[in-house]
Amino acid sequence: MLRFLAGRIFTMLVTALCLTFIVFFLTNLPPNLEKVAKSELGARISDADVESWLGRNGYADPMIIRYGQWLGVVPGWTRTDAEDGRRFGRCLPDNGLAAVPPGASEMPPPTFCGVLQGDWGFSTVFRRDVGEVVLRGLALTGKLMFWVTVVMIPGALIIGVLAGMREGSRLDRSLSTVSIVSTATPEYVSGVVFIALLTPTVFGYRLFNGSATTAMEDATFYNFTLPVVTIALYGMGYIARMTRASMTEVMTAQYIRTARLKGVTFGNIVMKHALRNALIAPFTVIMLQFPWLLNGVVIVETLFNYKGFGWTLVEAAGNNDIELLLGVSVVSVLVVLVTQLISDIGYVFLNPRIRIS
Amino acid sequence: MEPLTWTGAVGTWLDPVLWLVAGSLAVGVVAMIVMSFFAAPVTLQANADGTVMARGGAFGFVERAVQALVLALCVVVLLYILAGIVTPYGGAGIVGAMAKRLLPTWIALALTFAVSIAFKRRLGLYGKLFDNVIGMIGFALVMFWVFSAIFAGVFDMIVTHDPLSQVSGMKNEVPGTPVPGVDAMTMGAHYLLGGDALARDVFSRMIAGGWVVIQIAPLATLFAFMVGIVLGLPAGYYGGKLDIVLSFLANLILAFPVILLFYLLVTPEIVATGIPSIMAAVLFVFPVVFFAVLLNARFHTRPGVRGPVLIVVLGIMGLIYLSLISQPGTIFTFMPRWLDLFDISGGILVVFVSVVFVNAPTVFRIVRGITFDIKTRDYVAAAQTRGEGPWYIMLWEILPNARGPLIVDFCLRIGYTTILLGTLGFFGLGLSTESPDWGSTINQGRGLLSVFPHPAVVPALALLTLVLGLNLLADGLREESLRD
Amino acid sequence: MTNHHTFENRTHHAARMYAREHAAGDIDRREFLTRATALGVTTAGAYALIGLPTPAAAAAHAQEGGTIRMNLETKSLKDPRLWDWSEHGCFGHGWLERMVEYQIDGTLRPMLLESWEANDDATQFTLNVRPGVTWNNGDPFTAEDVARNMTGWCDGTMEGNSMASRMASLIDENTNQVRDGAIEVVDDTTVRLNLNAPDITIIVGMTDYPAVLVHSSYDGGDPAENPIGTGAFLPTQNEVGIKQVLSRNTDHTWWGTEVYGGPYLDTVEYIDYGTDPAAYVAAAQSGEIDATYQTSGDFVDIFDGIGWQKSEAVTANTICIRFNQQQAPYDNVEVRNAIQMAVSNEVILELGYNNLGTLAENHHVAPLHPEYAELPAPVVDPEAALAALEAAGHADTEFELISIDDAYQAASCDAVAAQMRDAGMNITRTVLPGSTFWNDWLNYPFSCTEWNQRPLGVQVLALAYKSGVPWNETAMANPEFDALLAEAMSINDIDARREVMAEIETLMQNEGVMIQPFWRSTFRHQNGEFVGIEMHPSFEHHHYKWARAA
Repeated sequence: MLRFLAGRIFTMLVTALCLTFIVFFLTNLPPNLEKVAKSELGARISDADVESWLGRNGYADPMIIRYGQWLGVVPGWTRTDAEDGRRFGRCLPDNGLAAVPPGASEMPPPTFCGVLQGDWGFSTVFRRDVGEVVLRGLALTGKLMFWVTVVMIPGALIIGVLAGMREGSRLDRSLSTVSIVSTATPEYVSGVVFIALLTPTVFGYRLFNGSATTAMEDATFYNFTLPVVTIALYGMGYIARMTRASMTEVMTAQYIRTARLKGVTFGNIVMKHALRNALIAPFTVIMLQFPWLLNGVVIVETLFNYKGFGWTLVEAAGNNDIELLLGVSVVSVLVVLVTQLISDIGYVFLNPRIRIS
Repeated sequence: MEPLTWTGAVGTWLDPVLWLVAGSLAVGVVAMIVMSFFAAPVTLQANADGTVMARGGAFGFVERAVQALVLALCVVVLLYILAGIVTPYGGAGIVGAMAKRLLPTWIALALTFAVSIAFKRRLGLYGKLFDNVIGMIGFALVMFWVFSAIFAGVFDMIVTHDPLSQVSGMKNEVPGTPVPGVDAMTMGAHYLLGGDALARDVFSRMIAGGWVVIQIAPLATLFAFMVGIVLGLPAGYYGGKLDIVLSFLANLILAFPVILLFYLLVTPEIVATGIPSIMAAVLFVFPVVFFAVLLNARFHTRPGVRGPVLIVVLGIMGLIYLSLISQPGTIFTFMPRWLDLFDISGGILVVFVSVVFVNAPTVFRIVRGITFDIKTRDYVAAAQTRGEGPWYIMLWEILPNARGPLIVDFCLRIGYTTILLGTLGFFGLGLSTESPDWGSTINQGRGLLSVFPHPAVVPALALLTLVLGLNLLADGLREESLRD
Repeated sequence: MTNHHTFENRTHHAARMYAREHAAGDIDRREFLTRATALGVTTAGAYALIGLPTPAAAAAHAQEGGTIRMNLETKSLKDPRLWDWSEHGCFGHGWLERMVEYQIDGTLRPMLLESWEANDDATQFTLNVRPGVTWNNGDPFTAEDVARNMTGWCDGTMEGNSMASRMASLIDENTNQVRDGAIEVVDDTTVRLNLNAPDITIIVGMTDYPAVLVHSSYDGGDPAENPIGTGAFLPTQNEVGIKQVLSRNTDHTWWGTEVYGGPYLDTVEYIDYGTDPAAYVAAAQSGEIDATYQTSGDFVDIFDGIGWQKSEAVTANTICIRFNQQQAPYDNVEVRNAIQMAVSNEVILELGYNNLGTLAENHHVAPLHPEYAELPAPVVDPEAALAALEAAGHADTEFELISIDDAYQAASCDAVAAQMRDAGMNITRTVLPGSTFWNDWLNYPFSCTEWNQRPLGVQVLALAYKSGVPWNETAMANPEFDALLAEAMSINDIDARREVMAEIETLMQNEGVMIQPFWRSTFRHQNGEFVGIEMHPSFEHHHYKWARAA
């Protein structure tokens, strides 16, 4: 088990490294760097000025060296202004975007300032440390995902079990149709329809808020329901169908038939015998759905103006905020891979046949 | 010019019938749900006169009534469509005009169903689809959109107005508003489903958008399948180092947040660097390789046939491939104009490449999993004993036996791709803003949703029905293939 | 010794001339008020010159205390001279103030200056600094501060410094810095400006949003980090992209409380809802904001529909769908004219901005500018346009119209493209997201840029169409135009001015500089609980006037 875990963690790290290098490569292509220079200085500088600014701020080094600086295995770039002795450098405040006057602080700046040292860089969009921005986004999205999980998982499991316990019945057909319809409705369709139907004020009463910005500080039923339901609805369909498939498979097993012949009531069969076996597969499916839910989170946060992790990703990507994008990529990769790992381990643990063998 | 109502003159007598049937159906369904909690499970019941009944009493009556009402509802809908086709323009309102416009689609659908049902025993898995109600409904929905798209895109039928032309005075008008300046009561006198914020016809844009989606989504899914199959089969068959490397790459791409990947790839800056062209060159070579290996493996023992077949097929495919990647304005411009069959604009190409890139790893995993399972079968061992080459075994022994789950996944994946295209449109990436594809029109229409819902709701429903149809089709195919 | 004349005795002679022109109906009230107060006449005096009582301030209805929440794209601040978005000013003006403030009715209100005088030919201005003003760290505010700031404005070598083009008459062409002797500190409360050419726009240039005065300790960077200013508020929260909050500075005696009254509110909250107006509607309906920053085009009806009060400003804000004259095929004037002829501005106004504005005539001089000379409406003839394009040999050329993704700009450009397509021309549309668009906005061959109004009509012409100025996106370099513009910038009587402007307008139309379809009215909506928050045509926020309604 431990060797398995160690192997998986090693793969995770290698994947994260490769992925961040790809993101680094794409965001540091010359046209994107030009975008960075112009957003710092203003739109009407000449190409020569772009070159000189990039050169002065450490963007002219080879790509692999700069990646090493971000990682923290290569010393950060520094530069001393010849005229007034002001120092700039990656390891100085604000990634060198703010100069340190000569003699301002007696402590020499750290040589290495990368991820390995715990310094995730400085966001050019939000003007804060990347760590702070990412944590803020994660906290808000965590709140959203918590409620999504609370709504989605019980709902999906109940629907799946009810549909699967009598395959082919009217209940099964109708619940299956509902699940299929919900998998066919992406968040930008259902969110739009919900906003159109449920947010207008009718006769002075309004059911729900169409904007979740105040939910960032204080989440209430009125401003949080629509975002949660929009995400949950899309995920619920797929999980319900997988649960139904697993349930029907279990209900046709021999031991269920034996229990019926023994005279166990239907309710007891479902609750005591079928459920534990049927829920193994949905567990893995739920874990594997998380990456897709992250997608949905991005759309819903943009739609409802909730400034969580997904919104941060869109802002960073749209404005080519390199450091923030790298931080966001690392977090996304870790979420995906950790859920995969939990899913694999969970599958082994939950299924006694595999655990014991 | 009078605006059109939803059902026009026909509606005066057909609408009450519709409400009656629908109302009774709703009551019946509710009654059924309530009663199902108290009803006994289905058991056979012997009656006094020797007959046997499956379900009797009030619940049984309600069940049969609901069935009959569903049938009645279908008949009423059919009547609306027929009325629309038969009465002159405007007699049956908006619904009738749309039905009349869609006549080529109805004919094509009817012909397809008639022919398929007549020959269903001889048509393999496709024929078995027509034994399954769910599958047929899904198939009907999908082919509705496919036929409408083809008739609109290739033959220029169905649409009433140019999807890009803006008519002053029609901004945000409700469905059925007459177009100023047109006096005769013919097609084109009204905006059937209203105008959007730029005074363009929503109905025509919906159909034209369907053409864009039908062009891109299935083709992109097909390419993703080619890539996934060509890489998944050897990974599953050989295992070992090849499998480890390819699986790692697939997991790497799957770990990428999709939206981040789109933002990184689908921007004007990236198109300028030529990376999408390089990716296109790599990804689009897989179908050529696939067919090359397929035909080579098949005709390996008959070199006389193999040579000509390979030359012809690969020649044509090579030409198409080179035309695809050679694009003036990008880094590949080596094809002379007379040889370059077609040009795809940079924006569409990069959307294509991104969608293929995102979908390929999942297909890879599925194919690899199936291959692991099938390579233990006896017929594979038999082929190995016969001395067949590995590619022959992979492509002509393993792949045909995997076709069931693969076809099902293909249908589902077209649905996911359609949704992905919509996501791109939602963030304003990819296709031009004038493009009528459904994602972009939903995004543009959602600003004024609270006052003018129709520009956003119409493409949303279109997207919903197409993806629903694909899902139902996949479900039906899966059920039928498992019954094998 | 200089003679200090009091205002009652000495009103600039030109102001009296303008008053006569106004009485004759040659100029409207707004331009009169702007020009008169630019020359140093007080607001009350200006109104008196045209025989009107000064409008009463809304102070009578204001209640002390309270918070207002408004949506705003919260941007990070930088050196004020580099400010290029109105939003920078909206936040920054809470604690950083200007010397003169442009009011909604067109007058100039003295803020950190008490008054100013101009000599006869507008080559020398005397600025009287307001006594008794202190910085919020206790330091006294003197003429030295004014001189230091104005010297900084004149630094033409600093990249992105837009103040330099407004202070052009103080700058030495050779050094590209302030001319020796141009800014004289006479005493603690007096500064004299010696211009090298007549320039009536210099005081008006000081009303623009980057023209704030900073403390001597300011050294570049984000002013919100060490907010030393003369204003009545302090930035208490500065989360870029999320929220920016101004709170009343209770430790600081603001000079304006005695002079103009206010500030009334305790806090002003700016919450970022992005650029999509649908989000503003959702926020309004959810009760998350009390007022909008700006309600545009199609959304005005929606906000009216939810019962919010509307405030309209008829402005000279517009968009210029312009050609870059150095890039083929737009370097051919026949091509430009042909494209102009294919497009009807009425249709663009209807489809792009929902008819909420007035038609324009492709020359960027607005009817509300008094020197506006009326020309016959531009000819719209799609067939002739295509014929002209064929004659120029460009019938098959594919044109590309680039715009930013902002709703009404994209919609207007789509309307242009549709009409060009109807005429038979080949055109594709490209919409770029904000960050990509502004990277290269000056160099696009055919694109659309938003231009906000300036108080005087000639200012925009000098900012955008003079040869070689930084914001000249059309690459227009016409010596005849430059000469006419210089003439218009000095003081003449109205008929001579209008003749010059007629020539300028005709020149711009003939040169096919751009398609400039409409002047848009700008709107703000509020939930009815506030007074003093009317929409300002230049998007300025005068926080000290805002109050809860009593």
